[in-house]
Amino acid sequence: MRIRLTKYSLFWSLLTLSVLPYGCNMEKNFEVDLPVMAPQLVAECYLEPGKPYRLTLTESTNYLAAPDIPLVKEATVVIFYQGRPDTLRYAPFYDKFSRKYYTHASITKMQGKPGDTYRLEITDKQGRKLTGTTTVLPVVPLDTVEYTYNDRKKAFLVAKFFDPGNTANYYFFSVQRDSVNNRAEIDYTADDQISNGRASAFGTGYDFEKDDTVFVSLYHLEKPYYEFFNSVEGARDANGNPFAQPATVISTVQGGYGVFTNLVYDQKMIILK
Amino acid sequence: MTTGKFYHTTPIKKVVYFVYPVILVALWLGSSSLNMAFAQSKVTISGTVRAGDSGENLIGVAVQIPALQTGTSTNTYGFYSLSVTPGTYTVVYSYVGYQTLRREVAVTQNTKLNIELPASTQELGEVSIEAGSLEEKLKTSQMSVDQLTTREAKLLPALFGEVDILKTLQLKPGVQSGGEGSAGLYVRGGGPDQNLFLLDEATVYNASHLFGFFSIFNSDAVRSVDLYKGGFPAQFGGRLSSVVDVKLKEGNNKRFSASGGLGLIASRLTLEGPIKKNKGSFIISGRRTYVDVFTNLVNKVNEDDPAYNPIPGYYFYDLNAKVNYDLGQNDRLYLSGYLGDDLIGFRNSGFNFDFNWGNRAGTLRWNHIFNPKLFANTSFTASSYRYNITNSLEGFSFNLTSNIKDLSFKSDFDYVPGNAHTFKFGVQAVQHTFDVGRLKAGSEDNTIAFSSGSTFTGVEYGAYAADDYNPSPNFTLNYGLRFSGFTNGKSNFNGLEPRISARYALSENTSLKGSYTRMMQYIHLVASSGASLPTDIWYPSNKTVRPQRSQQVALGISHLAGKGKYLISNEVYYKRMQNQVDFRNGAQLFVNNNLDQEFLFGRGRSYGNEIYVEKKEGRTTGWVGYTLSWTYRQFAEINEGRWFPNRYDRRHDISVVAIHQFRPRLHLTGTWVYGTGNAFSVPVSRIILQGQTGNNESFVPIYTERNAYRQAAYHRLDLGMVYKLRPKRGESDLTFSVYNAYNRRNPYFVYFEQLKDDADKLTIGFRGRQVSLFPVIPSVTYNFKF
Repeated sequence: MRIRLTKYSLFWSLLTLSVLPYGCNMEKNFEVDLPVMAPQLVAECYLEPGKPYRLTLTESTNYLAAPDIPLVKEATVVIFYQGRPDTLRYAPFYDKFSRKYYTHASITKMQGKPGDTYRLEITDKQGRKLTGTTTVLPVVPLDTVEYTYNDRKKAFLVAKFFDPGNTANYYFFSVQRDSVNNRAEIDYTADDQISNGRASAFGTGYDFEKDDTVFVSLYHLEKPYYEFFNSVEGARDANGNPFAQPATVISTVQGGYGVFTNLVYDQKMIILK
Repeated sequence: MTTGKFYHTTPIKKVVYFVYPVILVALWLGSSSLNMAFAQSKVTISGTVRAGDSGENLIGVAVQIPALQTGTSTNTYGFYSLSVTPGTYTVVYSYVGYQTLRREVAVTQNTKLNIELPASTQELGEVSIEAGSLEEKLKTSQMSVDQLTTREAKLLPALFGEVDILKTLQLKPGVQSGGEGSAGLYVRGGGPDQNLFLLDEATVYNASHLFGFFSIFNSDAVRSVDLYKGGFPAQFGGRLSSVVDVKLKEGNNKRFSASGGLGLIASRLTLEGPIKKNKGSFIISGRRTYVDVFTNLVNKVNEDDPAYNPIPGYYFYDLNAKVNYDLGQNDRLYLSGYLGDDLIGFRNSGFNFDFNWGNRAGTLRWNHIFNPKLFANTSFTASSYRYNITNSLEGFSFNLTSNIKDLSFKSDFDYVPGNAHTFKFGVQAVQHTFDVGRLKAGSEDNTIAFSSGSTFTGVEYGAYAADDYNPSPNFTLNYGLRFSGFTNGKSNFNGLEPRISARYALSENTSLKGSYTRMMQYIHLVASSGASLPTDIWYPSNKTVRPQRSQQVALGISHLAGKGKYLISNEVYYKRMQNQVDFRNGAQLFVNNNLDQEFLFGRGRSYGNEIYVEKKEGRTTGWVGYTLSWTYRQFAEINEGRWFPNRYDRRHDISVVAIHQFRPRLHLTGTWVYGTGNAFSVPVSRIILQGQTGNNESFVPIYTERNAYRQAAYHRLDLGMVYKLRPKRGESDLTFSVYNAYNRRNPYFVYFEQLKDDADKLTIGFRGRQVSLFPVIPSVTYNFKF
């Protein structure tokens, strides 16, 4: 009997012990010496119809460097439209409306029509040169935005549109609550490989409630920007995902990192009833 | 259209493709005719050897006639054949774990001797490692092979107490795991897609459960496994780096029995017995995890809490069944099947999500003895792997599935014209059907409807011939040739795969060995990561995606020391791989009708040295293995075209395995492993981006050199104890395991973290962090048999 008691005690002790380790902290610091890489220009510029040219110019830094914003002060930033150059002035500012920082701006507003091309050229005193082009795409209109409630009074949204069949199209879909400048509740990109030339739709989960005001946007993207967007997501994901492969950022610009593109979109505001 | 082509452009390849077959045929014909002339005055002793306690075929039993200094061993189906001049001889049958049997026989004509070996009566027999004696390993020309039985694996400590024969194989030299707790195999620098898993001859396409943490091989149903790392016998083909040949138990044809176990995360039950005593038997074995039972209870308790998010239910199960029956003296029929699935389900207020994946495999096999010299095994197999994701919301549904289905025919012959030769030859054909990325999504009213997916078919075929030639006791040569091919109607590929291995005895206790093999792989795994994920799919060769190829050379020396108690071996290998597969940056692998465009093609090389010391008998058994190796890949589109180390390139790898019989009913076991840290990529710089919508700035890592950094070294001690109880009926034991006994925080992955100020949440710095997966984990399993 004594032995039997010992055995069962051991059994239950081990069972308990097997659960306890999950309370342990399974993370710790690790040290790594990173090589010093020459900083490269990083440009981020989204031209929007009817809005002035604005651009953010920084440079890349060592990953473990202090988190300062590495501004590039002595650079010449020019955007060409129909052969006419427009030099953006260096004047860093924070736009409270769009909640973004910009380093260079112009009063010139984007007036391009679908098919028009813009060109970006940046040079600095270190001899670095960054270039890029973007071609204006037509808007793909949203037809309807519908919502459906579940038994917990949560709603999901479905935005329907018709994909143009004559081209390969790339989309960015986002839903923001209360303001178009709030961080998106949901956003993702998609191509039209399985919906080319047909009625199509993007949706959400059961994320919304009665009386929510939502802004549903469908952006029609250039392929280079679509690839840049996804490669940035991939690079972020590679840092911390044990299953991900290291991804390289595929910039839309040459001579550095970043994106130069135009944003055309259709947007609908819905108040959930 | 691509026409069939041999890859022959260099003089070396010309030798391989044209001169080698000529030499092979000449050698074969010459030696066979000599042998046949010699064999005319001989008679044959042949038969099968089975276990006395269960009636199961015994593989690799040494059958010797000491007076003639000749002998052989039983094949995979327990069959043996020996040629002798008429006379009276003592035939000795020996197999570790069983009593040695001596039979005196007067042979005047061809004689059939079917043997049943009694199990060892000593307690020692229970800890002896059965798979192949050390002496047999020394004397065979086969190299680069590891053999393991379930009995052996069951004694060793296991994660959560779940015995896993693939994880035990990871303790062998030249075999790396896919990471902490993973059942994945990376053999001599090969990828996880380059292993051929055979379950009773049927191909298994995804051999893991729970994202790779457990293999599908239920230890109660499996009898043994052979892992070929090189020197591949000619009957195997279709993968570059390894063959994992898993054989299921046949079932006891003497008496009914039930066995099973209760563990922390799963339970097992096996029933076996005679269909007709000594004629046929059955075995059925099942395993199921039960974490979902607890999560369902938790969900039930919290179902009225509106803020509660239910835990998704998850479980996996395996079901193995097998029957066999003697149709007469010369015929035996086997039917075996496997069914296993992983299931994740989540339902919550209109949201229904299911993700299921699993394998099916079935084999119908017929053994026939044509005559004492000719044995045949013919099998029909069917196997499939598929995953299925369904998701539905009110009025909308989504379904994504991919699968591969095989129908296969194979016929293998063993012809033993005399003791100097054992010929093996056969043919094989496999019909593959691939359903890739089949998507259906849309609304119930059909106003929105998406679909995509591709179906491919292809036939993979092979024919081979090989001869195990023993011209003298000191020299053994196994030479063979496999012709393989693949066609999908538009593209045809084929190739010759020479296989040579030889052994030369420097002395009674020392052998030199060498081998050369060439392998072709016609189907490819589309995997989004280095880990084994259920969404990994198989894809056929076509005019864009060419077959993978490899060549491997190995040289080794084996020495039997300590009066035959220890086998010490050392092997050096070099492997080259062509048409290696990777995927372009940002590849869309799930729903893509143009998947060909996502492939990248490159090459690989790996080389290393494996030292192995093994002890199979006595109160203390086990092995020590040390591997020194290098593994590299090169792709034009990755790492700017420079060679880079594979993620599982491991410079040093050590395994120590010890099993000690402390008392007749008590075994203590331990394993210790050490490995150089995995290679990984580090973002050397970063950029800051705000994105197209505001309030969204983030740091984006910039990766440059692939796999240029190393994680910390991995090492771990596992301890185990098997204590046999004394139940009133049958047998039972308690198996205790302590995984990671000294609680080492081994790296699972590393990442860079942003340090934020507590007050305003602004980033104030960065630091590297290492994440570990498993701390010390004790477990206990209760096993029974009656």
